[in-house]
Amino acid sequence: MDAVVTVAQLALGAAALFALARAARGPTLADRIIALDLVLLLLAGGVAAHGARTDTELFVPLLIVVALVAFTGTLIVARFIEWRDSK
Amino acid sequence: MNVLEVLGAVLLLFGTALSVLAAWGLIDFPSALARMHAATKSASLGLSLIVLGAAVAAGSWELLGIAALVTAFLFMTAPISGHMVGRATYLAGRVDNLVFDDLADSKPSPLVIRNNAQGGWSHTRVVGMILVWMLLWRDVSPGTLLGGAVVACSIELLRRAPVARNSIRLGGLATFAVRYMWLVFSSNARVAWEVVTPSNELIREAIVAVRLNTRQPSVALLVANAISYTPGSLTIELTGDPLVLYVHVLHFDSVAQVERDVRELEELAQRVFRDPAMTGT
Repeated sequence: MDAVVTVAQLALGAAALFALARAARGPTLADRIIALDLVLLLLAGGVAAHGARTDTELFVPLLIVVALVAFTGTLIVARFIEWRDSK
Repeated sequence: MNVLEVLGAVLLLFGTALSVLAAWGLIDFPSALARMHAATKSASLGLSLIVLGAAVAAGSWELLGIAALVTAFLFMTAPISGHMVGRATYLAGRVDNLVFDDLADSKPSPLVIRNNAQGGWSHTRVVGMILVWMLLWRDVSPGTLLGGAVVACSIELLRRAPVARNSIRLGGLATFAVRYMWLVFSSNARVAWEVVTPSNELIREAIVAVRLNTRQPSVALLVANAISYTPGSLTIELTGDPLVLYVHVLHFDSVAQVERDVRELEELAQRVFRDPAMTGT
């Protein structure tokens, strides 16, 4: 299990780098926010994978908070894009 | 390693693979809306599978409950954020490579859901909220029960938003879940293939208007969410009276094909909710 989790976490880290590359490059604000949303989901995945290795359930609150923040953050930016373009 | 650990590891790696493909799709796909298809949906399913894998590996029912909760939460939220960002991108005029666009020459009237709910106290909803509360605390002591009851009753009393009063058919829900899961996995596989292969020549983006047969907001909401959770299709706009969905698709073939897919989902969704007009007959 240890090896599996390490492989998974390395892969998720690489994926987060791809997402950060898109966040840096854009070109639209929507691209950036979707990329950052993805980074948070990947972070949650890494935390859950860590939970599989250590058999602790401490990761559960963190998982829920990250999922909530990712959701509300993305919604707020979507609203902002609409508001900015309607001006 | 016992059987559960192996199964957990397989789920974990499968979820990880989906997440990595989602991230690579973000690099690889040609337009903002296409990238949204790759990123938001596959990664949510990937996270669900990772949490499920962790729960199975630990062999814990509690964690399995949390995994179900996370999956349900992601099924509700991922389509909403995908839809809102997609809609904002479209309205900002950042979408220009469509082969077909129904939304271009129509000024859709906004959907107004009439408040035919009149609030109403629902015991089922309160009990459901208490159960979720106890699952989140992972504790069944009387104190937690009391705290959950206080929170659930406050939410139910103070809630302002209209809630549709349709009751849910369990059989219809089960049929929907099974058929829909198949759809989600097959379309994830299709978009994953698109990500892995370097050429993107199969991508033909289009926005198609599909008029729904139903008049129920609950059914329309479930269909809109289900469409947006499936990679390859995204609800851009939903207008009322009659209910019309504007669906962005990644692999446009024909208008009839998109309509057929939406109708199929709608028929499944209609069997989930009892029609309030039909009750009592």
